[in-house]
Amino acid sequence: MGQLVVNGLALGSIYALVALGLLLIFNTVQIVNFAQGQLLMLGAFIGISGAVTHELPVAMAWIVTMAAMAFVGIVFMVLVYFPLRGRPPFLVILTTIAMGIVLENLALIIWGPLPVSLPSPVRGPPLRFAGIVISMHQLFIFATLAVILLLQFLMLTRTRFGILMQATAQDLHTARLVGIPVNRTIAVAFAFGAMLSGVAGLLVAPIFLAEPTMGGSLGLKGFVVSVIGGFGNLPGAVIGGLFLGLIETFGARYISSNFRDAYAFIVMIAVLVAWPRGLFGEKSSEKV
Amino acid sequence: MKSRIPLALCAAVVLLIPVATHDGYVIQLLNIAILNAIVVLGLNFATGWTGQINFGQAAFYGLGAYTTAIATKAGLPWIVTPFLSVIIVMAASLVLGLPTLRLRTYYLAMTTIGFGEIVRLIIVHWEPVTGGTSGLRAIPGISVFGFGPQGQIQHYYLLVAALALAALIAARIRQSSLGRAMIATKDSEIAAEQSGVDTTRTKLLAFMIGAVYAGLAGCLYASSIRFISPDSFSGIQAVLLMTMLIVGGMGSITGCIIGAVALTILPEALRFLGQWYLVLYGLGVIAVIVLAPGGLASIASLIPRRAGAR
Repeated sequence: MGQLVVNGLALGSIYALVALGLLLIFNTVQIVNFAQGQLLMLGAFIGISGAVTHELPVAMAWIVTMAAMAFVGIVFMVLVYFPLRGRPPFLVILTTIAMGIVLENLALIIWGPLPVSLPSPVRGPPLRFAGIVISMHQLFIFATLAVILLLQFLMLTRTRFGILMQATAQDLHTARLVGIPVNRTIAVAFAFGAMLSGVAGLLVAPIFLAEPTMGGSLGLKGFVVSVIGGFGNLPGAVIGGLFLGLIETFGARYISSNFRDAYAFIVMIAVLVAWPRGLFGEKSSEKV
Repeated sequence: MKSRIPLALCAAVVLLIPVATHDGYVIQLLNIAILNAIVVLGLNFATGWTGQINFGQAAFYGLGAYTTAIATKAGLPWIVTPFLSVIIVMAASLVLGLPTLRLRTYYLAMTTIGFGEIVRLIIVHWEPVTGGTSGLRAIPGISVFGFGPQGQIQHYYLLVAALALAALIAARIRQSSLGRAMIATKDSEIAAEQSGVDTTRTKLLAFMIGAVYAGLAGCLYASSIRFISPDSFSGIQAVLLMTMLIVGGMGSITGCIIGAVALTILPEALRFLGQWYLVLYGLGVIAVIVLAPGGLASIASLIPRRAGAR
């Protein structure tokens, strides 16, 4: 029981990270990026190329991945966001899905279809506590989520960049008129959003192995979390993520592991039927 | 009136294809393309005309196909299966549509994706009935009181007739008050409400009619291709159907057919590209969305307009 809680929370932390990456982009440009899962996969494989193929120290591979993902985020913005500004959300959904297909198949060409493992940056014997085993990697996941959450919260509320981001989200044209460097703000949001999904990929790869097709279902879980928590809502993303991790872990243990991926959607549909804007409400709903 | 000539030419080409080629593989591919066109025509009601994002269309297609396959394999006469399929997809579209059609954009997209995943998981894991991932083989063919098409070419003509009927009905619905209500709902829900359109009812009807198209196409798929597996009705398939609609031209009946046929045949023609094909496919879809938001149908209609302007 306690073990299931720990495993569920570790899984949920990863979902929360995917959702936080989505949130960063959504809060700035009101775009839901359906290729977020494929960005996660890309992060995992860049990490593997560094740590396994080129035998870099794992910490070094992490840094390389972060830098590469920031670059990918900006390329993504140029390819997807700029041409789609002001288009209906429907076309944005389809374009980002198409981008996901492109990334997934490029990864298949570059890295092949076989699953690969990435070592965890932390080593050491697992902690045992009242019959519950917590691996070092699970502790590392919790710590990473906590640090990122704190940084993101401080960035959004306390720094100049956060204020610029919120102003851009409120009204792009007015923001530009009053002299906010809108494009730079959006570029930073995309870079950070991609970096966050890269971190999620680096954290997933040691547990589940990395394969080019892993992005699809993980990306969808990120949206389920966003929907449950309310799009663009920071506490909602974290609570929604942890909640989903617990539901999947307990559902797989006590109901049926075959339908593991269905629980997320069933819960999401139930939440939406009761609260059409998610449990915690949408942050800037009038612009969607 | 002058539009009759290209139509007649198209009809002649369509009817002569099996005479020109005796390649069974080509005919089979065309049969699948025609079935996809019927499903995309259905998708057009909800997405093209009413503006509702629906990624559940592949699941309705699958429900129709599996209902037919399971029923005919159990020994039921074929003639009852279209009715069974329609009942099942209508029930499913009510269950999904009633609570969720008031949701907007991303929320509706996610709900329909979720519905598709749930249906797929049930198909994959309910093995004794659905055959699991390996699917169902040797599905009995179409047979009405002992009469039915034999061979792929007869199936081809039957499916062409079904598509023509489906397109005709879609065109009639478009001209009816329901069709105008659909367009009004897409253009502005508030304005439509003000003009006395029951937008909730319109959305639900568009969604259900689309599901019935998919269900009947699924029924024909199972009994003419004679083999079904969950892959044909997965989330990827839902995305492909949506790209057929967009690339062909949302809202246009000809666009739906062009998009479905082109994007069913293209992967086979470009098979030599291997994995690169899907990379190009994704980039191509993005290019069409960015450069020609009206799809291929709009490119075709641009040409005479430019010529006339001169």
